[in-house]
Amino acid sequence: MTKFAIKYALTFLLLIPAQAIVFNHMILFNVALPLVFLYLIIILPITLGTNISMLLSFLAGAVLDVFCDTPGVNALCCTLVSFARKPLFHLYVSMDEDLAGFSPSSRTMGHAAYMKFMSTVVVLYLSLMFTIEAFQFFSFKLLVLRIIASSAYTFILLYALDCLSLRPRRA
Amino acid sequence: MSELFAFFFRHSKWFVFALLAVISTAMLLSNDPYRQHVYLTSAGRGASTAYKFAGNVTSYFNLHEINDDLNRSNAQLQAEIVRLQERIDLLSESAIADTLQLDSGVPHFEFIVAHVINNSVSRPYNYITLNKGSNDGIVPELGVIDRNGVVGIVSNVGPHSARVISLLNPNFRLSCKIKRSDYFGSLVWDGQTPDEAVLEELPRHTVFKVGDTIVTSGYSAVFPEGLPVGVVLDDDTDHNQNFFTLRIRLFADFTTLGNVQVVVDNHAAELKALSAGEENDAKKNPFGN
Repeated sequence: MTKFAIKYALTFLLLIPAQAIVFNHMILFNVALPLVFLYLIIILPITLGTNISMLLSFLAGAVLDVFCDTPGVNALCCTLVSFARKPLFHLYVSMDEDLAGFSPSSRTMGHAAYMKFMSTVVVLYLSLMFTIEAFQFFSFKLLVLRIIASSAYTFILLYALDCLSLRPRRA
Repeated sequence: MSELFAFFFRHSKWFVFALLAVISTAMLLSNDPYRQHVYLTSAGRGASTAYKFAGNVTSYFNLHEINDDLNRSNAQLQAEIVRLQERIDLLSESAIADTLQLDSGVPHFEFIVAHVINNSVSRPYNYITLNKGSNDGIVPELGVIDRNGVVGIVSNVGPHSARVISLLNPNFRLSCKIKRSDYFGSLVWDGQTPDEAVLEELPRHTVFKVGDTIVTSGYSAVFPEGLPVGVVLDDDTDHNQNFFTLRIRLFADFTTLGNVQVVVDNHAAELKALSAGEENDAKKNPFGN
């Protein structure tokens, strides 16, 4: 667990500035925004208490809000997604399995289940975020386009990140 | 009592969820950009240090386009200097003839050059972060322009960085006029694309045509009169309305902002004191008798 905590802290310190400085500026066609920092919510162990996982997710969202001048937007979405994370996970993985120290990834869950879980989290997060933002300028067509394009873009980058983190190690 | 604690403990995730959701929603709803603490914005120490570090690398991008724009702007300024020099000579001659004292006071506007270290264009409320702050003489409510036109207005200032409300932010309305006819209205971003905004509240009898230049009206202490803002693209008016709404293509390219100038109005304090005095008079004597 200590090893995971150190690894998670390092990922946090790397991904939040990377999201603010790099990924927030990689917008495609003015609609597709990649939110790679969602990896921080996805990889939290399923057996970790919901309270701790919500606090960690809230912290990630709040820090990103400071960087992006979007007070409360990411913090609220992170809290909501983190709250719904465990039930979403059990849509694709049986309750009966031994989940001690289980951190969702394509290796632990299998490709198909992980892709479904990841895409559900991504679509839920982006739908919430763009709906909150749509209170200012509402355009249903633009809202749907932004959710679909950003979800696809984020999904590809998150899958690439997962593959990178699971590089085969030499014996 | 122990049952009460057991109840709270058993359902703690709902209480933690409600608490975090309330905190986030409170942050979300208090969106007055001037009331946010500087450390909760991108002008805070941590965020601005990260952005400055990244800005040292990315500031070299787009140098070719920036150089072209600067050459063009330089040529225009040279022509302006020659024209103004001729005018000064003419005025000096008439001053000597009439023993008239030329104004030798403080210049009305001064400019502080700063570099953009963070910028967003795709959010509903966009902000810009600059690498200069209160130590360089920047204070809230100063205007920001770049080589092409108006960019925004300073909202929060840290010692070494400042956050600017971009023109691409509905919290910012800019008083503008049509250069050719002097009719004025209010420019605001409508969230469509980063290179267009709308000029609202133009009187129904306004004379304009597509391609007319829009400039600042000078009706505030933030921007000097006549700064370029954009050109008229088309008429967006619903014909039942009493006012015209025009779609404007902005001169400033917000996707490649590099160096900007912060406009310092040396007469702003005087104007504010006068306005405050007028407001006090109006409160004391609301009927003006």
